[in-house]
Formats: sequence, C-alpha cells, structure tokens
Amino acid sequence: MSLRFHWMFPKGGEVAMKTAQETSRVLTTRSMSPAALPDMKGWVRFAHVAEEAGIESVLLSFSRYEPDTFLVACAVGQATRKLKFIAAYRAGLMQPATFVQQINTLSALIGGRIALNIVAGSSPAEQRGYGDFLEHDERYARAEEFLAVCHAFWRNDGEVDFNGKYCRVAGGKLHTAFLAPHRTAPEVYVSGHSEQAQQLALTRGSCWLRLIDTPEKLRPLVTGFRERGVEVCLRLCVACRPTREEALGAALALLPADDIDRQERGIVSRSDSQTLRQALATADEVGWLNHYLWAGLVPYYGSSSITLVGTPEELAETFLDYEKIGVTQFIISGWPKLDEMVIFGREVLPLIRNAERH
Amino acid sequence: MNLRFHWMLPKGGEVHVDTRQTPQAAARYRIQSTNNTSPASRPDMEGWIHFSQQAEKAGIESVLISFSRYEPDPIMVSCALGRATTKLKFIAAYRSGLIQPTTLVQQVNTLSALIQGRVALNIVAGSSMAEQRGFGDYLSHDDRYARAEEFLAVCHSFWRAEGEVNFDGKYYRVEQGKLHTPFLAPDRTAPEVYVSGHSEAAERLACAQGTCLLRVADNPDKLQPLVSRIRQHGVEVCLRMCVLCRSTREEAVRVVESLLPEHDVPNQERSIAIKDDSQMYREASAVTHRENNWLTPFLWTGLVPYHGPVWTTLLGTPADIKQALLEYKAIGVTQFIMSGWPEFEEVDIFGREVLPLVREAERRQEKNPA
Repeated sequence: MSLRFHWMFPKGGEVAMKTAQETSRVLTTRSMSPAALPDMKGWVRFAHVAEEAGIESVLLSFSRYEPDTFLVACAVGQATRKLKFIAAYRAGLMQPATFVQQINTLSALIGGRIALNIVAGSSPAEQRGYGDFLEHDERYARAEEFLAVCHAFWRNDGEVDFNGKYCRVAGGKLHTAFLAPHRTAPEVYVSGHSEQAQQLALTRGSCWLRLIDTPEKLRPLVTGFRERGVEVCLRLCVACRPTREEALGAALALLPADDIDRQERGIVSRSDSQTLRQALATADEVGWLNHYLWAGLVPYYGSSSITLVGTPEELAETFLDYEKIGVTQFIISGWPKLDEMVIFGREVLPLIRNAERH
Repeated sequence: MNLRFHWMLPKGGEVHVDTRQTPQAAARYRIQSTNNTSPASRPDMEGWIHFSQQAEKAGIESVLISFSRYEPDPIMVSCALGRATTKLKFIAAYRSGLIQPTTLVQQVNTLSALIQGRVALNIVAGSSMAEQRGFGDYLSHDDRYARAEEFLAVCHSFWRAEGEVNFDGKYYRVEQGKLHTPFLAPDRTAPEVYVSGHSEAAERLACAQGTCLLRVADNPDKLQPLVSRIRQHGVEVCLRMCVLCRSTREEAVRVVESLLPEHDVPNQERSIAIKDDSQMYREASAVTHRENNWLTPFLWTGLVPYHGPVWTTLLGTPADIKQALLEYKAIGVTQFIMSGWPEFEEVDIFGREVLPLVREAERRQEKNPA
C-alpha cells in the first residue's frame, strides 16, 4: 500500500497570507481575525492546488474561533471532485444520532469524501462555552460511548439501542445511509497522546492521529496499533528546499516576534491537553529531535508544528523510514500555505512513489 | 407589507425532471417516503435544483426543509442547495435537544456566511416519543418545550453578540461561551425563527423566543383571536397548508378527492397519530369525527385523518385561492408555507395564476386603505 498524504486546510484568509507569523494561533484567536469567516475563494483555490499536488484529504480544524467543519466540507466538497475532507469534531456537542445523520447526509452530497477526526475535547474553558462540563478522563469515556452509538448506526443492521452512562438511544433508526464508493462508514481518526486517547483509537477508531516523533520512539507504539488493525497517521510540518541550508533558513524564518511568544504560552498553560504539554516539553528540552525533526516552532504555533526540515531527497527518505515502522498516513502543513504544498507535490512525492514502486 | 410565500422542499426523488407526474403519484410518493426503501432518504440535488429554480421563478421566497429520521439533515441540504442557488432562502427545520445550542449557532452562522444569509430556522420541540428516543431524547412533551425555550435563549444570546455567553438553566449550562463566526446576512444579525406547534406551550415559545408562529391553516374566524394575540407580541403568524389550484372549483375538488385512499381502513398514518403525543396530531384525529371536512368553502381537511394535519388543503380557482389568502391577511397572517401534488407543477401554477392576483389586490389595498 502507498503512503497516504493529507494536508492541513488553511484557516479563513490564510491562503492569501505571505508569512507564518501572520497565521499564528494568537492572531487566529483574535475576534477580528479573518479565520472567523469562511473563505471560499481562497479555499477552493487551495483545494484545487492540493488535488493537483496529489494530496488525498484536507484536515479541517474545529474551534470556537472558526466556521463549522461539516458545513465547510459540504461547501468546498461541492466545488471539488477528488479531494477528501477530514472534519474535526468534538464528541459531546450533539447527540450521536444527529451527528450520524449530518455525516451521512454530507457523504451523499459530496461522493463519500468525508472522514472524521474525533477529538474528546479542548481546554476546559472552551468546552464550557459549548455546554460541556466534563473533565478530561470523562470526556474520553463519553467519546467512547458516542462512537459506539455512531458505529451501531453505521453497521445498519436494525434499530439501534444503547444504554450507557452518557448516551442513551432506544429504537434508533436513520434512513439516510453513509454513501461512499468503498465504505459504509467514514474513517475515524482519533487524536490525542493520552492513554485514554490511545484506547479510544484502538476500540473505536480506524486510525490514531498523533504528532510526529523520531521513528525509534514511535516504533513500539505503531507496532501495537497495527497489530490491532488500526493505522497510525502523523501530524507534522515540512520545510523543504533544494539544499539543507536553504531549508534551515526557511524554517528559522518562521520564528515570530517576542510578544506572540508570551501570549502563545498563555494559551498553552490553560489547556489540559497532554499532547500540547508533551510537545512543549520536547521543544524546551531539545529543539532538534534528530537531524531532520525540529521542535523549535512548537512554543509559537502549537504542538502540531514539529517540522521536518531538509532537501526533497532527505524528506522522501524520512517518510519511507516511517513507512518501514508501519506508519501509513501523514497530515502535513507548511508555510507559505500554498507554496510548501506545491513543493511537496512536485519534489518530494514523486521520489516516494518511485521508491514505493521498487 | 406584502404577504410572504414559502414552499415545502420536495422530498428526495419526488421531483420528476423530465416527465410530468400525476397528483395521485405525487401523493403516493410522499406517503411512502417513510419506507426504508424510499429514495426520500437520499439527497437529490438534481431534482432539488430543478425545483428551486422553478420556485424562484414563481416568486417563492423560501423553502422549508423538513427534519425526520427518514430524510437527510436539513442544515447540510440547505448548504448544498444554497451554494447552487442565488435568491431562494432556506427554512431548516431542527429539533432542539439534539445538539448543544452553541454548536447549532456555530453551524447556522457558518451556513449564513456560505449562502449570503439565506437561512432561517424552524424550531420544533420534538416529534413522536418513539422518534425522539431514537435520537436520544427522553423528555415528555411539556419538558421538551421548556428545554426548547432555554435552547433558543442561549442561541439568542450568542446572536446578540454582546460579549461572552453565560447561561445556567435546567437543561443547558454555558460558561463564557463565545463564537467568532457571526450570523451574516444583508439585513439581519440573527436568523428568523419559526416555532411550530398547536399547543399553548408552542404559542408561548413562539412569543418568547420566535419571530413567527408556524401552524396549520384553519378557518380565519377561528384563527383570528390567536393571530391577534401573537401579533401583539410582535411575532408573525405563518400558515402551513397544501394548495390545489385549477381553472374550475369542480376540477380542483375532483383532483383532491382522487387522493383519498380507496379503502377506509386504519392505516399506518393513523397508528402514528395515536402514538404521538403532539397536540397537532390529537386535534387532527378529532377532525376525523366531523361530518363535514370543509372548514371554509376553500379549506378541506378530508385527507387529514389519513396523512396528518399538514394535508389540510386550500383549493379552488385562482380567484378563490387569492380571496382565501387575503382573508388570512385581513386577520393578520403574514406568511404561508405551501405544498402541492406534485410540488413542481403546483408551484408553477401558483406563481403564474395566483400570485399575480394577490399582488394586484395588495397594490390596490395599499392605494385605497380600507
């Protein structure tokens, strides 16, 4: 099987932005940020470039600062033919039956090009704004029940009955089925580094989504997941240039001004996510995880900004190293949003596909 | 102000793009749409776009997209169809209690930004107990209304956009809620909210949290006190009905009677009506026992015992129907949501034959106010 490459969908207004600094999370969370508004012009342009570059899906992030991911997937899905959408959604914001009805409808509207990234929750403050007052561990217990009910609907073998601690359904049925060329249910990516997240991915997911780390550190984890029939997908950034020096220069140029630093750390300290804490600790302690993996951007752009830095050949080889330990998918981002994806599609992907053929 | 006319969005597979459909076939399709083999479960972009263009041409302002476990999700359908049209608005039916109010607002606001604000909500407190439990909702009729009241209160605080939203109710709790995506429309900062139902609880909810009460048409004399009450609260009234317009009254009556079932046996619909705890269905069952199915010379309830209250039918010639609509306008009704057999042909007749007469009469009334 070939490696599968997805890309992070830009936030509203980002496609037109020139520098990483403009797209920092601090600016995104300001109330006047263009990230609050759908950006169909930029998004459709990005989507077409992604299709052209050989990218399979885009990941749409969920937060109170951005438009709803299902509706964005619906609108952009109508304007594209091939690109798939991994819509991030939090369990606990709607009844699972309603969630399935929305996803199934969406699948029928965009040729089945929809997958889910289920997130148990975010910072307690943001969750309470959504009416969710559960603690971290309980959120995972609920997400487990939530996905159990969803899967019961997707199995489509009669009425759904479920009597759990958080979800209850009696005689549930939905006539609108999940419609896709080769599937009867969406792929479910479960993200998070905690023990609970891993358990949830194993029991209810089709793929565990986590931050990139060195192949050595990931190997035992990945083996464990693959043995239980669950894929592993890594989140990372790339900075790819013809020479290593240029790539390093491009990566270092992403470092922001000091004031953003302080505000970003404020966001981080309010979160109860283990993923974010672990990533931040890594960044503080080492900076470089190995010769190619740089965590220097994490304090400024969040946990998902661990960056693979190098030439096309170095990057291709690194991706193939991950393939060897059992990783099958990647969700990538880079700056500038469009250019980095074009470089990846033109310079890196052909090397990987060529190696996979031999 | 001119009367506002909306139409039911046909169910998936209902619109025939290439051929004409008989009223009998259209009625049968709708009755069978809850069968699990019905194409009504699937989105039908081709049929819907065909209908939407016809509706826009006919002068219809919005389409109502119904919510049930038998059909696609109305918010997603509004998005897809809204992206494929430019003028038509969408009244998406949704049940409170299926989704957190913050999440619904985030979805509706996103939708508004994607389709130029052409979205309104029809909030329904619930449906039959059986269907509600299938969605994970176990509340009783009156509790559902109490919850819907809280639900809309939270939604409206987000739409007011006066800072963080805090709410501590019996059914919902929100702390420091904020959403950055606003409701975007040329002339509004929040969607119109149609509250439907016939119970007192529905009336109270419409007055407290709605912009419009949506109910099934009845005799204007009977509706008059209700409409006055609602209008005094600054809330509009919108009537739901089927319409059947032909060049003679006899023909209209003949067609509507041809939709009656051949055998008067208790059918599936009746059993649904008995199990249902909604006021609307209980009233409809009572109608069964009336000798006379004519509420007015133009309003017929002959199909209601079989298919529910929304099959209450306004029928006659274009002039008859115009007159009936103006009688409703005289008592303060401002909007209508119509349906026909088939939707496509009937909206065409309505746009060509009835609407010009209504607009002409409205122009005359404006020049010579009574």
